Amino acid sequence: MAEPIEPDLSRREFLGVLGASAALAAGCSRPDRGEIVPFDKRPAGARPGNADLYASAFQEGLSAYGVLVKTREGRPIHVQGNDKHPSCAGKTSLRAMADIMGLYDPGRLRRPLVKGRPASWDQARGRLLSDLLGARAERRPVLLMTNALLSPTRRALVAALGKALPGLKHAVREPACGGAEAAALKACYGDARRPRLRLDRAKVMLALEVELLSGDRPEEIKGFAANRGEGSMSRLYAFEAGMSLTGANADHRVPWKPSRAAALGFALARALHQSGRPLPAGVADSVLAGFDLEALAKEQGADPALLRALAEDLKRAGSSALVVAGPALPPQAHAAAFLLNTMLGAEGSTVDASISPPAEELAGDEESSRFLLEAAQGRFAAAVFWGVNPAYAFPDAALWDSSAAAIPLKARIGRTLDETARACDIVLPEHHWLESWNDFEPSSDLLLLQQPAVAPLYDTRQGDDVLLDLLRGLGGGAPLDYRSYLMERWRREVQPASSLLPFERFWSSALHDGALRREAASRPPRRLDGAAVTKLARQTGAPAASGFELILSPGANVFDGRYADNGWLQELPDPVTKLSWGNAVCVSPADAVRLGLADGDIVELSAGGVEVELPAVVQPGQAPGTLGAALGYGRRAGSVAAGVGVNLFPMLAGSGAAGLLLPDTELQKTGCRTALPFIQRHHKMEGRDIARSITLAKSRQPRLTHSKDLATLYPPRKFPKHKWAMAVDLSLCTGCQACAVSCQSENNVPVVGAERVLEGREMHWLRVDRYYEGPAENPKVLLQPMMCQQCDDAPCETVCPVAATNHSDEGLNQMAYNRCVGTRYCANNCPYKVRRFNFFEYNAQTPESRRLAFNPEVTVRPRGVMEKCTFCVQRIQEAKAAARSAGRALRDGDIEPACAAACPAGAIVFGDLKDPASRVSRLAARGRGYRVLEELGVKPSVTYLADLSNPAGDRDAS
Amino acid sequence: MDRIAELLWQRLRDPAVRLVLAASAAAALAVVCLVGWSAQPDRFSRGFAPAQPIPFSHRLHAGSLAIPCQHCHSGADRSRSAGVPSLEICMGCHKVTRIKSPPIRKLASLYESGGSLAWKRVHSLPGHVFFDHRPHVSAGIACQTCHGPVQDMAVLRQDMSLRMSHCLSCHRDPKAALPAGSAIARGPENCYACHR
Repeated sequence: MAEPIEPDLSRREFLGVLGASAALAAGCSRPDRGEIVPFDKRPAGARPGNADLYASAFQEGLSAYGVLVKTREGRPIHVQGNDKHPSCAGKTSLRAMADIMGLYDPGRLRRPLVKGRPASWDQARGRLLSDLLGARAERRPVLLMTNALLSPTRRALVAALGKALPGLKHAVREPACGGAEAAALKACYGDARRPRLRLDRAKVMLALEVELLSGDRPEEIKGFAANRGEGSMSRLYAFEAGMSLTGANADHRVPWKPSRAAALGFALARALHQSGRPLPAGVADSVLAGFDLEALAKEQGADPALLRALAEDLKRAGSSALVVAGPALPPQAHAAAFLLNTMLGAEGSTVDASISPPAEELAGDEESSRFLLEAAQGRFAAAVFWGVNPAYAFPDAALWDSSAAAIPLKARIGRTLDETARACDIVLPEHHWLESWNDFEPSSDLLLLQQPAVAPLYDTRQGDDVLLDLLRGLGGGAPLDYRSYLMERWRREVQPASSLLPFERFWSSALHDGALRREAASRPPRRLDGAAVTKLARQTGAPAASGFELILSPGANVFDGRYADNGWLQELPDPVTKLSWGNAVCVSPADAVRLGLADGDIVELSAGGVEVELPAVVQPGQAPGTLGAALGYGRRAGSVAAGVGVNLFPMLAGSGAAGLLLPDTELQKTGCRTALPFIQRHHKMEGRDIARSITLAKSRQPRLTHSKDLATLYPPRKFPKHKWAMAVDLSLCTGCQACAVSCQSENNVPVVGAERVLEGREMHWLRVDRYYEGPAENPKVLLQPMMCQQCDDAPCETVCPVAATNHSDEGLNQMAYNRCVGTRYCANNCPYKVRRFNFFEYNAQTPESRRLAFNPEVTVRPRGVMEKCTFCVQRIQEAKAAARSAGRALRDGDIEPACAAACPAGAIVFGDLKDPASRVSRLAARGRGYRVLEELGVKPSVTYLADLSNPAGDRDAS
Repeated sequence: MDRIAELLWQRLRDPAVRLVLAASAAAALAVVCLVGWSAQPDRFSRGFAPAQPIPFSHRLHAGSLAIPCQHCHSGADRSRSAGVPSLEICMGCHKVTRIKSPPIRKLASLYESGGSLAWKRVHSLPGHVFFDHRPHVSAGIACQTCHGPVQDMAVLRQDMSLRMSHCLSCHRDPKAALPAGSAIARGPENCYACHR
């Protein structure tokens, strides 16, 4: 966040400095040019000036991704996916890319604290260890609260610690993940392993209140994109309360109350059963008798024909169908989804549990409450909070306070002085994951290795190393550091006995790849417990409550608040509401009219005796009678996070066991208003064909673009060697915004803060536009990544008085920052609003540590300069230079701009139009290719491929 | 009018006025010269030859001993920066060569203690210029084209201005810099070739 800089030189001082520098210039001294410090011994392969890629792994919540970390001169500057992680194939979560900011966060702890005072590691460790030894001697329990471990080695370490300290109680908390799905899995399959969703195999998908296509699900997006082209087209039905990206990309989206999702599932099961699909053993058909599609359609105001078509589609798709229920839904809805998948034969096909790793026991709010209640009664001698932030994210704040007061010694392992660290006696600063060693098991046939890409920046230690150290102090034999511990376990348990390689070779090859494919022990297919499904179906009824149904979901960008301190993720808007810097409650248009609400009205939500005030947003497509809001905001600590948005975790205290769905919430207007920092303020295309969408049947008709050349006053441009161009397939794009994060990281794009976003001065070089078409009750949503279109006859170039922006003979609209005098004529004349003006010294104000994240291949722009997307010209030049020094010609695919490299759907393709065989040439010639605002005659270099939809009943489709 | 001219003429006979006038003229000339000299384009670039922590002589190594440039600056054809050799490269020879001389002893002690040797940078480009050695070296352009006759310099100095006009004149007509028979007719003149 940058504030406008007041000139810190008065006129007199300025003249003084001017005089002094003139005197200096007249003197004989020459300015020093700095120093060059070479390596003592250059490590093999390390070459100053060249980027190195290290394979590593990133974990968040219940997922882990293989990543490649790009480093320059030893410092990580960019994160991208690792193609050795097969299911993600070179793509990763947008938060993996953004969390490089966490490494350079100026708010990171640099040394241990004991009672708030800086201390040495020996002091902090000694204090903690003596208390643990005391607890062991007195046989008093000790609480260890962590996030999901996900790492087999880390799990082994915690187990070993549990042996050395028999009173250790380990609670795993993922506060925003909800426990309903795990509970349903456990009840119906006897095992909470989460199956992998094979969207790539699915022809007909039913998404019940679930976000499958957001930027933290690269695997699902990739699978979805596999079947969204002319060649192979799936059909997605989404039934949901709020508008999600899944709903936005669905062929049929139906606003649906979450409390009725289970009923819909069971009604579909009944319809399938009636048309001849057998019920699994143990499910009595009588239990389904009460669920009727027609009645449900009437109740929810949906089209009964559509529900019938859905049942028909599911039946026809059989094992290529997929039904998914969302984490906010109650176990009944999950059971209905399991039942449908089993009846359709999707189990084992689109729902693949065969290689799921063992699930971790998550402590839900109830179980955590029990622990904290025991703590409040003084049962625990000590507690270690590692990663989790219960002082912020635990719903019952009073219970947390009383238990925190009753635990004699609280230790914190974490990166910043956050809410929990402030409440703890000992604070042990932790490495960032880019400084750490670990392994993760995303599926039982794959192990990911995490390795440091940089030496620790501060006097911190890896959390695992702290536990290992405690383990040694408690008398458990263990190696000196976690890396050795990890290697030892790999030597013992991971390297196959049949492998003839020496372990060092095996290890270094796994480390190089960052991933190890393994033979997965085959497990018998899981069996659905019919009796459990029957029991849950019996519990499914119409809700009695009269209030709103509120769904709380992890923030699309900030997750459960652990990334709230990240400026990139705060400024990246919510993919649907396009609200940045904070959260709001989404209200349906009908309810907004009824209650007299408009965007920015502060409302009071109350459920179960908890009241919270936050702004409202009128969300087109929101089901009447439902509300939606994001968790993860309203942090009290953090240089960026503090005070942004509203903390909704307390609402969960009122929900009881229902998890993230609050079935009976009251909403009241307070009369206050606030201005909301939306990144997009207008939501309609106003009759212009900016983002196009056609049905599959229509796509078989001839080309839909303007084909005739418009008259122009300019001579035709010649491109002797290359003509760089881009194609964006809107049918593949899900609007996840991974491209925008990757662009921000690659191109040193500054963060401007909420106040400037309100003035429309955000600086994103690439944004994803979202348009609504049709009735506000349930509009069609169009999503479109928008970056500089690199027009051949660019209107910005002709108005620049100093020729700072002009055209290259490779088709790029160049921007020479050093020539720019900041008239902003170009931005005024740009039809796409992709030029961004740097109003303040955002970069000069960047804290020293954050500057280390700058990409040295891109100018760090000063104030008063216009900037915009360059098609990542630094990557073009790099690829050209690399090809030339390798003595070969440039090949199609050598150049990948940051956005294209990050896109999990592969929707963005870059290449040379002069090469008729290049992918981009072929895409640009496709029938559904068009250029945005082509009628202006500016000849953009970006071809968009119209979105394809595949609605039921679309003639001659599928 | 005549009256005024007469008055001025009388004033000019005053020696004090003459002195002041002459001094002003001299001062004005001095200011013009000073400003002109200090504002000359290559004022800070050409001839810059800072003292180095070790008096390394390119004249000896590149000239008399004729060690190829890329033996030490091995990044020139593989990286954007040619790079300064690691101490290990120096010690490759100086483990046995001239080990008694004080600068070599300094080098050896730095190397053995794991200390770092901070050379003074001689050639530098502004932050908005992105120069890449690779295409220039692989085109066969001699290092001396931009770095001057390094093999004759006992103390390395910047010989060329390295200003944009210097770059562009060669990009527009690279014949003199390229080896005979090179297929390259021109270098790129796009802004994005060097600025981004």
